Amino acid sequence: MNALDVASVTFRYNGAPACALDRFSLSVADGRMHALLGPNGAGKSTLMRIITGQLRGYTGDVRVYGRPMPDRDALVSIGFAPQPISLYTGLTARENLRFFGAMARLSDADIAARSEAVLAQTGLSDHSEEMVSTFSGGMQRRLNLAVALLHAPGLLLLDEPTVGVDPQSRNHIYETLAALNASGMTIVLCTHVMEEAQRLCSAVTLADRGAVIFDGAMSEIDHLEKFFLEQTGRGLRDD
Amino acid sequence: MIRQLWELIRKEMLILLRDRQTILLLFLMPVALIFFLSLALEGVWTDKFLGRKIQLVIKNESQSPRADLLAQKIKAHESIRVVERPADMHSDKILADGKTQLIVTIPGGFEEGDKPVELYFEPTIDAGYKIAARALVTTLTVEVVMGIDNLDTVMKGLIVEKPRPDRELPTPLQQAVPAYAIFAMFFIAIPMSIGFLKEKKDGTLQRLLTYPVSANLLTLGKIIPYYLVNIIQFVLMLLMGVYVMSRFISYPFHLGASPWHMVPVTLVVAAATTGFGVLVAALGRTPEQSATLAATAAILMGIFGGIMVPHAVMPVLMKKAAMISPMYWAHQAYLDIFLRDASLASILPKLIVLTVFAGICFYIAGRRVEWI
Repeated sequence: MNALDVASVTFRYNGAPACALDRFSLSVADGRMHALLGPNGAGKSTLMRIITGQLRGYTGDVRVYGRPMPDRDALVSIGFAPQPISLYTGLTARENLRFFGAMARLSDADIAARSEAVLAQTGLSDHSEEMVSTFSGGMQRRLNLAVALLHAPGLLLLDEPTVGVDPQSRNHIYETLAALNASGMTIVLCTHVMEEAQRLCSAVTLADRGAVIFDGAMSEIDHLEKFFLEQTGRGLRDD
Repeated sequence: MIRQLWELIRKEMLILLRDRQTILLLFLMPVALIFFLSLALEGVWTDKFLGRKIQLVIKNESQSPRADLLAQKIKAHESIRVVERPADMHSDKILADGKTQLIVTIPGGFEEGDKPVELYFEPTIDAGYKIAARALVTTLTVEVVMGIDNLDTVMKGLIVEKPRPDRELPTPLQQAVPAYAIFAMFFIAIPMSIGFLKEKKDGTLQRLLTYPVSANLLTLGKIIPYYLVNIIQFVLMLLMGVYVMSRFISYPFHLGASPWHMVPVTLVVAAATTGFGVLVAALGRTPEQSATLAATAAILMGIFGGIMVPHAVMPVLMKKAAMISPMYWAHQAYLDIFLRDASLASILPKLIVLTVFAGICFYIAGRRVEWI
């Protein structure tokens, strides 16, 4: 069974002249690390928001482990780390984990055990009682990932997980992702860091202006960045 | 679901209580307002409604038995406070220095009836005060000249004072404590709307929607903490009024015959204030915009609603205009309890008005709110 099936999804924001997604289809096999690439405005974030139930009013079919979305109960099988660092800066790292763990319906015991695990995975064990407002950008980004991992989801959706972090944190995040994938977690990675996507992902979907323009195995591509520019053009995307 | 709701409330409370500016706004601001404005009201209240003592200087130039008796009667009167005449100071200088606003001169020849008692007033004296002072000295002079012991006793059969029972005018604490507690409760809209818009901006609200949590639960998780804070605000302000301010203010803080009626009133007022907060959060586009909107609306409601100026002393037109403010209905509900020993049934119409206000706020907010 695929972890994720997106079939012919079309979505247009209110008042927008063009569709954000136009008959968009994508399948992610269970246990894979799948790169979802595209220039700005390709529809990657919109797709993630549809999969995670934030956006309604689309046509087409989205299934997570075979369950048609939107399905509130199926959301616990998804871990989502959004591009903006979406944490409560007025809480400590552990308080953030406790809160989001409760939202994912984890028991107190599970929250305590899983918090220790994800704090260790993201290198934040020594900072668990510190306020998030005192964290560096890299630490916040890692905690953003830790929250997504807390409830041990089968499918992890990452939207630009390394934006604005130093090389050390970026390297740590990618090592963590590789280890998670090796342990069987399915990961959909939206990123502009082509080298890492090519190194870590076994499949790739390239999108532009809401439509899929390539979908296949990473092994089919020699040089991902070159391929990306060939497919999407070199013109600036400021619209 | 209960556990999710509890964690939503806990998260909101932790963030709220760790924000010093919010604490200052919600708790210190009403404490300061109650403290200083109760003291300010005390002076106005004494002057306007109890009547301050007439302060005067006696200049007895006659030194005759009748003049001495008049001076003695003036000094002994309960509504008069005699100020010692500074030695060798001219009358104009006494008035100019503000030591008194009236100098009563009993001239030589008063005993014989050749010369009248002179009243020398400061020209800027309040007209009502002048009339009262003149009437009082006249009464005492008549008593001395006519040989009457107490003119009031003689007049008892002719003039009887029958004041209407006071059910309108609150004491300074009865006015200020509920007034500024309500005022501060409406200011909950500022942290409430800023918190909501901040969560929208930093993406935490959107992230929450990726969990199995309904929008209704999220809404409850937002409303309940602020509702509780509103109730805590009122209880603290009431305790401050009863136990702290009563040491500074000489007028009592009577809570009426049924103080427990404050419970349903406070629950409904808190619903109205959180409804207002939800409305501001739904209408605001930025935290700055919502803060300005909330503060401006709360101040206007306070001005109209008898918070800044007691409703009882407002002109008729303003008294009618006050009814557009929910703060008026809230404040009057408390005054019903304090002053009028009101039954729950008689407070009910005011509670219905506040409930309708809360309902309208929640309805509009529900229609206008954008979660993403």
